[in-house]
Amino acid sequence: MKSRKLVPWFALGLVVVVGVVVLIVRSRPDPSPTARAERLEHQFACPVCEGQSVFDSNSPQSAAMRADIPRRIAAGQSDAEIRAAYVALYSEKVLETPSNSGLGIVAWGLPAVALILGVVSITVAVRRWSHAPRLAATEEDEDVVRRARALGDGTEAARE
Amino acid sequence: MKHRARWIAAVVGVVCVLFGVVLAVQHRSEPSVPRLVLEHGHAPPFVLDGLNGKPINSAQLKNKTYVVNFFNSWCLPCQQEAPALKAFYAEHKSDANFAMVGIIIDDDAATMRDYVKGEDITWPVGVDPNGGASLSFGTTGQPETYVFAPDGVAVCGNLGPSTQAELDVWLAAAQAGEECTSPKS
Repeated sequence: MKSRKLVPWFALGLVVVVGVVVLIVRSRPDPSPTARAERLEHQFACPVCEGQSVFDSNSPQSAAMRADIPRRIAAGQSDAEIRAAYVALYSEKVLETPSNSGLGIVAWGLPAVALILGVVSITVAVRRWSHAPRLAATEEDEDVVRRARALGDGTEAARE
Repeated sequence: MKHRARWIAAVVGVVCVLFGVVLAVQHRSEPSVPRLVLEHGHAPPFVLDGLNGKPINSAQLKNKTYVVNFFNSWCLPCQQEAPALKAFYAEHKSDANFAMVGIIIDDDAATMRDYVKGEDITWPVGVDPNGGASLSFGTTGQPETYVFAPDGVAVCGNLGPSTQAELDVWLAAAQAGEECTSPKS
């Protein structure tokens, strides 16, 4: 009897485990040179245009980078080495994502700080509201309500 | 309650000031000197397909003071710069320790052959296969000019059209191993 009760929980656990495994497997980046090159092309900003990645841009510099990245991959360079090479040529402006040093820390850190401040503010506000005493009606308030109801009743009676 | 409002205003003010500082630091005016020159980088090696059929190898330029000019046929500033380059080359081409190379950026060989012939450009001009030279110089457009000292260090240069006076000053500085100064400054 007890084991039959556990069956749905086992089923639920199995679904969760299978889901997590599928997510992990699918989120692993494709290590093939072509896929790596395409990922890197998306990670670099076109050095001579605004708001376009190397993957999307038709500028000669982007075309040269698209031709150069597979050569660097074939030469055994890691993604970090390739990023460093282009940063040396075009500065950190060539990176689509901010770096994790210098001013880049501000870009990464500000959203996290804003999130923490937001959560703390909401928590404090909710706690304060929950501790606020409920207002009790005074004799005067009840008298006002009583008179209003009586007035309403009279109007409805007159209509009828 | 009053104090709390002041604190909130102060925090918001500090965040706004920090944001402003970050924006001010990020927003810089466009540079007029190539990064390779600013950093006194070494000449990147290159091999070009010469328009005349002969390959242009940067190894041939070793121990010379030389000028590299990135250009093409359709760029108006390149066309404006052409007379200055021609006069400059005519002035120095007899110097055995001087060389000048034109590298085509974003144009095709047939069009460039007509353009070079029409403009009477006599210095070696080469096509940059796959943009390799353009990339290794870190070009950001055209025209771009680089002046290299005999030890291969980029000492002077310009993003945009250069004048003959500028080129003369830069060449003299490169030959003398001095810091580059522009007649504009």
